[in-house]
Amino acid sequence: MSVAIEFKNINKSFDEKKVINNFNLEIDKGDFITIIGSSGSGKTTILKMINALIKPDNGQVIVNGEDVSKIDVVDLRRNIGYAIQGNVLFPHLSVKDNIAYVPKLLNKNNSEKSEEAVKKWMKIVNLEEELLERMPYELSGGQSQRVGIARSLAASPDILLMDEPFGAVDAITRLKLQEEIKRIHNETKITIVFITHDINEALILGDKVLIINEGQIEQYGPPLEIKNNPSTDYVKRIIGNV
Amino acid sequence: MLIGDVFSLMSEQKDFFINLTLEHLQISLIAIVFAIIVGLILGIIVSEYQRNKWILSIINFVYTIPSIALFGFLIPFTGIGDISAIIALIVYALLPMVRGTHSGIVNIDKNIIEAAKGMGSTKFQILYKIKLPLALPHIMSSIRTMVVMTIALTGIAAFIGAGGLGVAIYRGITTNNIVMTLAGSILIAALAIIVDFLLSQIEKLTKYDEPHRRFLHKYNLINKKTVIGVLLIIICILAANQFLTTSEENTINIATKPMTEQYIIGAMLEELIESESDLNVDLTTGVGGGTSNIQPGMLKGDFDLYPEYTGTGWMEVLKEDGIYNESLFNDLQSKYNDEYDFSWVGMYGFDDTYGIAVTKEVADKYNLSTYSDLASVSNELKFGAEYDFYEREDGYDALCEEYGFNFKSTTDLDIGLKYNAIKENKIDVMNVFTTDGQLNDPNIVVLKDDKEFYPSYLCANVVRNEVLEEHPELKNILLKLEGAISAEDMSRMNYEVEIEKKEPKDVAHEFLVLKGLV
Ligand SMILES: Nc1ncnc2c1ncn2[C@@H]1O[C@H](COP(=O)(O)OP(=O)(O)OP(=O)(O)O)[C@@H](O)[C@H]1O
Ligand SMILES: [Mg+2]
Repeated sequence: MSVAIEFKNINKSFDEKKVINNFNLEIDKGDFITIIGSSGSGKTTILKMINALIKPDNGQVIVNGEDVSKIDVVDLRRNIGYAIQGNVLFPHLSVKDNIAYVPKLLNKNNSEKSEEAVKKWMKIVNLEEELLERMPYELSGGQSQRVGIARSLAASPDILLMDEPFGAVDAITRLKLQEEIKRIHNETKITIVFITHDINEALILGDKVLIINEGQIEQYGPPLEIKNNPSTDYVKRIIGNV
Repeated sequence: MLIGDVFSLMSEQKDFFINLTLEHLQISLIAIVFAIIVGLILGIIVSEYQRNKWILSIINFVYTIPSIALFGFLIPFTGIGDISAIIALIVYALLPMVRGTHSGIVNIDKNIIEAAKGMGSTKFQILYKIKLPLALPHIMSSIRTMVVMTIALTGIAAFIGAGGLGVAIYRGITTNNIVMTLAGSILIAALAIIVDFLLSQIEKLTKYDEPHRRFLHKYNLINKKTVIGVLLIIICILAANQFLTTSEENTINIATKPMTEQYIIGAMLEELIESESDLNVDLTTGVGGGTSNIQPGMLKGDFDLYPEYTGTGWMEVLKEDGIYNESLFNDLQSKYNDEYDFSWVGMYGFDDTYGIAVTKEVADKYNLSTYSDLASVSNELKFGAEYDFYEREDGYDALCEEYGFNFKSTTDLDIGLKYNAIKENKIDVMNVFTTDGQLNDPNIVVLKDDKEFYPSYLCANVVRNEVLEEHPELKNILLKLEGAISAEDMSRMNYEVEIEKKEPKDVAHEFLVLKGLV
């Protein structure tokens, strides 16, 4: 199995404060990785290094065999889906145009192709086609999240980064969305890196779970292994109430 | 009723007001279009590159310059007229535009911009696909404020000889015609209100959390093509307009000062020149600041001729010391010729200078005809003048010293009340200007300044020699009015405009007919 994303000896400080400390990790192609850890532990920082929104102070981030500091970041990002915390649909664009945002960046003059992609992904994330022309303010929280997911997938990326995408929805919607993202992963077999605060979510969704604390890896392995063999006290505490 | 008068004036002079309104819109629109384009660009530069913050400081500073001062500052560079006005309007309009664009852009949710960036948008794509549309409602409301402000401010543009409704306001003020001033002001207010309403409708369309937006969206009404199309149409209209109105070869540009008699003389010149020759006249009436702004315009060639007073030319333009009297005229003429290449052509015949007037009753009783006659009986008479006259260096004290006046009493009076006071015998003697409209009254007699205490202010045309050479027929036409207008004539015509509210144009025409000149 080949490696999709690799972190090599990464260090990162913000204003003298060490946030990521000698971080090394390999993520296999097609894996669904969930990341969990307390607030401020560096999860988002790690994620944003994959699409070069944050640059490490030293060390290398390698995506699909290429060092991200050496390639065109715009191209890199267009091939990586990105869904983030909260409702960050573009408020001035309709559902259709939100979803078509990246496809349009890619094939500027082929609106038919974009339109097809939009309809396909609306179906996959279970959005009724009648929502196509709605504006973001006219959507429920769950619908917004679905549009956000569809948007991140619409250009058929082979890596998808999700930063607490289900943070703002109720428990029932959350369960549905979890099922859907799992199904999408099974159907597309893309690499997904998924940050969550919910240990259950992390264990259910992840092929592998990454537990980090203060910018360092506490444990990285399949959910069963984490549950059965927690390697540190920190991990034990996190899974304690499962 | 005043409002009734305003509306009947508007309907009587429909063409005049329609023309001014169109001019007003045109000047405002040009300024607005440029301010939007330049303001957007500057606003974007300031928000995208923090180190360009100084642009904002400069614009803030310029905004605090009073408009009259800014106009005055621009005149030496861009001359009297529309161009200076438009530049000044753009300068003022920039502040709301740049600020609006800047705050619209920097207040966008950072997460949204990061999302766009993380999805692979270039800096430019983030700007035009995300930042500008999100800032648009904010920018639109700045545009709205700016447009209303510009329409109002265009009213001041008349001060430097630009067209627009300010012409009516300014003419109303200088010819003591409050109805005219009100009409101009009401039309400006109406324009501002209508345009503001239209823009408020457009502003709604730019809001993305209101249903209208979806409608626009559905039919794809907001896209690059429509925006560029609309801009092109506006620019074409403006350009066409500019080309069509550019002055032709055979146009004489005449300026007049903001004084009732100059409005009348301007109208006379226009009618006479156009009927006697193939020349067209472009008349810029009531240029604010008078000589101090017309003289630079003459030097630049914006104006070809204007009516001026000999004493003013001597003291204000040539800056010569001493009291001017007509024995110095040859000096005046040759100095104008040498220094500016201008000539004084066609003395109208009247002298608009300071004077002293008494009632006919008093004049008869004491047998008064000169200032010296007055001196011998001044201790029995009450003197009245506006406050200012007692303060001026060449005012009351100097006059008393020269002639040995010693009045029984002196009173401060508002300039508008002076004539009433003398009619009601509250005062016996007052200072006047020799062509005051209200002197057109058989019961008031102007005395003769027998010691020539006051400078002479004979009215004549100052003309650029170049124009006289290009159009040799012009000189003879101007000479037709030589000696044609006495101080009494001028005072009577001023009276007709200021008190009887006749149009300067009509008064001028009647006079030309009376003299058999047309
Ligand atoms: N741009 C920045 N400037 C300064 N400090 C930052 C910046 N971004 C993150 N940090 C700090 O780095 C640390 C890690 O932040 P990060 O966002 O990766 O945490 P996280 O694990 O995602 O937390 P949460 O679960 O709350 O989202 C925090 O202490 C945060 O304050
Ligand atoms: Mg985070």
